[in-house]
Amino acid sequence: MTSSITGLGTQEKATAGRAVISLRGVEKHFPIKEGAMQRVVGHVRAVDGVTFDIRPGETVGLVGESGCGKTTLGRCISGLVPPSGGKIYFRLTDADAATLDQIEATPEDRRTKDQLAQLQRIDTDHRIDQLGGKAFRAYRRNCQVVFQDSFSSLNPRQLVKDTVGRPLRIWKEASGQELTEKVVSLLESVGLGRQHLYRYPHQFSGGQRQRISIARALALDPEFIVLDEPTSALDVSVQAQILNLLHELQQERGLTYMFISHDLGVVRLMSDRIAVMYLGKVAEQGTATELFEDPRHPYTEALLAANPDINAETSEMRGLRGAVPDPANPPEGCRFHTRCPVATPICGWEVDDAVAWLGTHETILAGLTDVERRSNFDATLAFGDEAAAAAVAQQVRNGDIPESMKAAMEGFSTSGNKVTLTFKPVGPVELEDVGDGHLTACVLHTSQRDRI
Amino acid sequence: MIVSASTTQEQATRPLVASVRDLRVHFESKAGVVHAVDGITFEIRDGETLGLVGETGCGKSVTARSFIRLVPSPPGIYAGGEIDFWSNEARQAQDGPIDLLEISDKDMLKIRGDRIAMIFQDPGKALNPALSIRSQIAEVFYQHRSEEILGSVGPNVPRIVRRAAQQKSNSVERLLLRFPPFRSKVAKLRATVDDLVAQALTETQIANPRKIMDSYPHELSGGMKQRVLIAQALACNPDLLIADEPTTALDVTIQARILELIAELQARLETSVLYISHDLSLVKEICDRVAVMYAGRIVETGTTEEVFANPRHPYTRGLMAAVPSATHQRGQLAAIIGNVPELVEPPPSCHFHTRCPYAVEVCRSIDPDTLSVGSSHTVACFAYESRDLGMPLPTLDW
Repeated sequence: MTSSITGLGTQEKATAGRAVISLRGVEKHFPIKEGAMQRVVGHVRAVDGVTFDIRPGETVGLVGESGCGKTTLGRCISGLVPPSGGKIYFRLTDADAATLDQIEATPEDRRTKDQLAQLQRIDTDHRIDQLGGKAFRAYRRNCQVVFQDSFSSLNPRQLVKDTVGRPLRIWKEASGQELTEKVVSLLESVGLGRQHLYRYPHQFSGGQRQRISIARALALDPEFIVLDEPTSALDVSVQAQILNLLHELQQERGLTYMFISHDLGVVRLMSDRIAVMYLGKVAEQGTATELFEDPRHPYTEALLAANPDINAETSEMRGLRGAVPDPANPPEGCRFHTRCPVATPICGWEVDDAVAWLGTHETILAGLTDVERRSNFDATLAFGDEAAAAAVAQQVRNGDIPESMKAAMEGFSTSGNKVTLTFKPVGPVELEDVGDGHLTACVLHTSQRDRI
Repeated sequence: MIVSASTTQEQATRPLVASVRDLRVHFESKAGVVHAVDGITFEIRDGETLGLVGETGCGKSVTARSFIRLVPSPPGIYAGGEIDFWSNEARQAQDGPIDLLEISDKDMLKIRGDRIAMIFQDPGKALNPALSIRSQIAEVFYQHRSEEILGSVGPNVPRIVRRAAQQKSNSVERLLLRFPPFRSKVAKLRATVDDLVAQALTETQIANPRKIMDSYPHELSGGMKQRVLIAQALACNPDLLIADEPTTALDVTIQARILELIAELQARLETSVLYISHDLSLVKEICDRVAVMYAGRIVETGTTEEVFANPRHPYTRGLMAAVPSATHQRGQLAAIIGNVPELVEPPPSCHFHTRCPYAVEVCRSIDPDTLSVGSSHTVACFAYESRDLGMPLPTLDW
């Protein structure tokens, strides 16, 4: 984990000696509740261990398919939902970051008293869920959000003046005529004007409403803005206007952005660095150019291949088979292995994959009566009669089973009406530096390559 | 990999499937009559994919819905024009076209879902959440293929079973159908339809269709739901398929798969497709010809190569420049300034003049004609106008 952090510090823009936001293993698990007693039966792992830094003045892009946790991560960073694990720091200095990583690297029971005191100090000074008083207020002021849907993020019963002026009034920055003038100058900075002061949100088009949202986010002159799909509800011509505006504002005010989007073209244009998320984890991160020209993760490659490009000479779009797995029960090993076109035997094949593969064959699992699961990698399937078990065995031995899944299968035996499947246990694939802060979590590109 | 079916010349000589002439669809509103579709003309030829591109509110969905008369009326008004449609049968019998806006509602019922089918934008909303996939696809067969299904039951089908196959049973009949001698016949009927449904689902590459048939929409992922909708639309092998932004609600990786599927099925079934989208790069990938719509009018049409290699209308050019790509500098996107105009009783003018960098006086007072600027390339812009208007025309660098 530590290597992933130092790798990020090498950016040209990262000269200010501190990060704006530092994530350390951030997790957000939502409980799944069931029954009259609302018993917790499991967790949806929306965000499952994300670590990176956002440096002053840069734009970090976050891409991924729907449900990959990018919006949840944005909400954690902006303090709208508390993370269920990991830490988020605000304005952590490089010195403190180094100390922190050193302490984190020491096992918990072997930390010295001095280290614990330092950890305590860093947490109270920078960790967003432990900040108090002045530091917390500074964080609140300096971290703003622009939401995706400007219909639901603007109060339909408030005038533009009230919506945009509200942060100023709450912070007692201005009142009366002065407030109005400040709101006007904010509106002017986003391309609206005095004539829009006394209108309601429904009187504006989508692009204009998004401008109002941006003006509201700018009201307190923040340092950092989370942009959660700010243009995905807009037409291309209006999207271009908003993207240009966001860039201008960044240049003028030295803003730091986190840009969340599912549109690769937009993210590439807007971001200095990009993190690609899949099922709650970062699959690959690096500078925008590196990621697009030299992707080191099959998921990034797949996203690029599926993205239609208006300037491409040839028309070739390739999709991914299968659907995104259930985030309540994410796959073992590399989470992408179930859909990966180049999956290897060490990517984390498990019993569920074999069952899912059998399920695509008509009627073959109809006779399944019981599953005795010893672990995700080891289970016994019981069938109603021996013929059904034999049919499954036949399918596994001679069917069109993916080569890498077959190679990962350590044991496969039938006895009577039972079929036992054993896979080689594999740990999760961690991010690794493959040069110049370009990180990937794919066994094909990292030190684990030799194990294949 | 998506391959366009044929060359330009070949397409131009193909028989027509549909021809839209001066179609006008208006909506009544408190502010006045909204000219949502304001005189558009285009053709769809056999086996081709025509892309209808434009931004929100330009009238592309209303155009699509007009084909199967799904525009709610009131407030919608078909204010003029015609949509001529040649079904394969009519063409083989050398019959003339039928005007889809003129035929009776009863005749429309026969065409809708059978000869012309539609795939809707949001698969989550287009499927009925209370019905299983089986019954939703079976309905298409009951409605349009009841005679064929009855053939499997045997000769001399009782009237009550015939009515069941047309989904016309009343409550008494439904009760009677549970008992012999009708019960076995109904079971046979159902088995036949089930086979057809399973076959339709297999066509869209759904693995294990018998299992999917018994599930409900909420149990399926977005991509799966869209496959079900495609199966439903293609169940009767339509002559014209209208795809209204079929992949907008899907992730890119799933989108690519769905488009591959549509292209493959289209090639196999030789269906013509009207593909509606706001995404230029997508249209470029999958369409043979493109029509660009703006504020209720078509501003430019042509083959995909022509339009994308040499866009003529300022709006098309603006739209293409606004798509972010690797060649753009940050903050240098060519945005089209301003907003789409109100379409309430618009005066004669080029509707794009409020946002057009080349607009001159003539653009504000006269409707532009559609002019031919290539073998099949047309554009509605005064920059190409040859008639003498006594006014200076803009100098353009194209």
